[in-house]
Amino acid sequence: MSMFPLAMSGVTKRFGHFTAVKNLNFEVPEGKIIGFLGPNGAGKSTSLRMALGVMNPDEGQTHLFGAPPNRESLAKVGFLPEERGLYKKMSPRASIAYFAQLKGLSSREAFSRADELLETSGLAPFARSKNSKLSKGMAQKVQILSTLAHKPSFLILDEPFSGLDPVNQQVLEDLIRQEHQRGATIVFSTHVMEHAERLCDSIVMMAGGRKVFDGDLQQAYDTLDRGARLGVSGDFNVATALQETGFDIKRVAQTEDADTQWWHANLPVGKNAQDLLRAAIEKSIPITGFMPDEARLRDVFVKLAGPKGAEALKASKPLEETA
Amino acid sequence: MRNTFLVFKRDYLGYVQAWGFWLSIASLPFLMALGFGFAMLAATSTPVRYYSVIEAGTIYTDHIETEFAKSISIDDLQNAGQNPEATSQALSEVSPEDTGLSLETYIRIPPPARDIDGLRPYLLGEQLVDGPEGEKPLFAAIIVPSDGSDIEYWSEDITVSGLRSTVSRASRAISRQRVFAEANIDPSIIKEADDAALDVLERRIRTVQEQAETGDDVTVADRAPFFASLGLSYMLFFMVFSALQYLTMGTIEERSNKIFDTLLTSVRIPQVLAGKLAAVAGVTLTMMGAWALFASIGVIIGATVLPPEVMEPIQEGIAAVITPSIILPTIISFILGYLMYGMVFLALGSLCDTIQEAQTLLSPLMIILMLPMLMIAVAANDPSSPLIGIVSWIPLFTPFMLILRMPTDPPLWEVMAQIGLMALTAFLILWLAAKVYRAGAVHGAGMSDAMNWIKGFLPGKKKQAEPVDP
Repeated sequence: MSMFPLAMSGVTKRFGHFTAVKNLNFEVPEGKIIGFLGPNGAGKSTSLRMALGVMNPDEGQTHLFGAPPNRESLAKVGFLPEERGLYKKMSPRASIAYFAQLKGLSSREAFSRADELLETSGLAPFARSKNSKLSKGMAQKVQILSTLAHKPSFLILDEPFSGLDPVNQQVLEDLIRQEHQRGATIVFSTHVMEHAERLCDSIVMMAGGRKVFDGDLQQAYDTLDRGARLGVSGDFNVATALQETGFDIKRVAQTEDADTQWWHANLPVGKNAQDLLRAAIEKSIPITGFMPDEARLRDVFVKLAGPKGAEALKASKPLEETA
Repeated sequence: MRNTFLVFKRDYLGYVQAWGFWLSIASLPFLMALGFGFAMLAATSTPVRYYSVIEAGTIYTDHIETEFAKSISIDDLQNAGQNPEATSQALSEVSPEDTGLSLETYIRIPPPARDIDGLRPYLLGEQLVDGPEGEKPLFAAIIVPSDGSDIEYWSEDITVSGLRSTVSRASRAISRQRVFAEANIDPSIIKEADDAALDVLERRIRTVQEQAETGDDVTVADRAPFFASLGLSYMLFFMVFSALQYLTMGTIEERSNKIFDTLLTSVRIPQVLAGKLAAVAGVTLTMMGAWALFASIGVIIGATVLPPEVMEPIQEGIAAVITPSIILPTIISFILGYLMYGMVFLALGSLCDTIQEAQTLLSPLMIILMLPMLMIAVAANDPSSPLIGIVSWIPLFTPFMLILRMPTDPPLWEVMAQIGLMALTAFLILWLAAKVYRAGAVHGAGMSDAMNWIKGFLPGKKKQAEPVDP
């Protein structure tokens, strides 16, 4: 049996006639940051809840640290759910300590850890206030600290950036990096691809309950038909000059600089932007500009998930913008 | 087990650390004293009322005065606490219906008019009459027709019946006197006959051996189990109602604050449920314990004040209640009754986001819970009532009914069968409620899903439950 922090094999979950997750297979290697990407309704939260044993799959198996989710394995996990909250009448200190105790820390350890986390996060002055008195941002910080209090070796964060302002999104990104440096394995779900681009070693993409991609970022970008733009002076015909090199080149219709003409080349399989640039130099093309196409996970997702996935991602956009 | 304890501790402390909880407990003796004070105040503040009797002669006037004189005076009642003999004496001198009149104060004044048309403005308060207590409206006028037809009692206030009852008794006394006089019987002979009536002594049949040990008198120890069963049944009712509030509101808080997912990755659902039930049971027992403490303090203080002949029966009564045949079924009824209702409250709470939603779902349960309350009233009059016997076979009501039945020594097989049925039902409810709780906590099932489930059970209303939102 594998000892991956998380392994899901053939996992399917249905709600009545609706299949929320279908035949999901993936593994989370130790020490990695994995992005679990997809639009709202893709099945991310359901998958993560099954991973933790909150709900059981109809088919397939989930394993945490080599065994079905159990008390021992769950004690190593810190989970920040998508729908999160706090007991309003408790204090931040008591809340963090309570959830830490549920994960196995003694009362003394839990309160000591709560004090430490509140101090480092700047929430110490509010340690004994009621949670109901905290601002939304502070409450979210307390929720995140509750997830980290028992120093989990595996963090599962479901839409952790949702509802945070840009400043706190950056704070959370830094926190994720810190936890990763501490040695924690991290899986976080998001429909905001940019977070994954900045943080992840690997990604799993979900659309319509199915996994559409599982691999590292470069592999994801490689799935795109990528290209680059060449800027040349005068009326030089780049397409003719590079006709024998195998690049599919077309003139870009609109240019801002009248002295520069822009041409776009699609990169065939096995060739990259550097190859294009090298070929242009060899052909003595008067290059005035060179811009490889920027690879975006959003484009990867749109390509892999198809029109329906693209629509779903588009529908998730308002949430992304508020995040 | 540790996590169950942690859930219990958090919930329990969450309730008992609130200052309002202790305030409500501490205020009980104060509120009881206040209630008693109000009752006394109401009794002693009965207004003085004027009445007039219009008759040819004074025979009714005199008899009404005589009937009033028989009543217990306020002073008699006030002396009762200090002098039991005075109370007994006072009670022996009046018939039970007299006591209802005893605290009302009526003063007869000369009639301001001789017929109802003339009396009307006085009775309506448009004009006042002068009397020993100053000017007041005329409360009532009693008109005794000279032709022997019925006596007329006129008043604007139709709710106060004391004076009217007194007039009725006076009328009966006059009639009796008249009939006896016509039959040449001295009225004193009637009193002599009444006084010569034999007392009915209440005895309790026991085995010969028991009779040799305890005698055959009906003692406080004989009656104590009946009173205790009423009190315990009411306590269970109170416990269930208290649990309703705590369990439902607590679960709604967790649902509305979206804490379930965080909780359920650390604690399994049975542990959550067990911790919550134990916490609320603890809260209720703390509340009852505090009140028991107040009562104990009262008894201790009473023991120093009251004479031994008063305290001994109380001690006998307590000893008669604390017997395995009463305590064991009571404890089982408390545990299973609390489990059954508590789990239902938890399950319903997990489906609701607001108190308003919970009220909608809990309303039918409230109606069901009224029945045991009615049965407690029936048992107060007749604990052996067949109705209680029948209702005790309905498992949802068994916890209350079994407690009420125990003093009547029901057959052992019935007790065992009812406990078994109750345990089976409690198990089924636990299983079903845990599923509902899981649906609410894990799958986010709500009011509309609950309504669909209910429709699914109704004939002709079959509807497939909608899948809950992932």
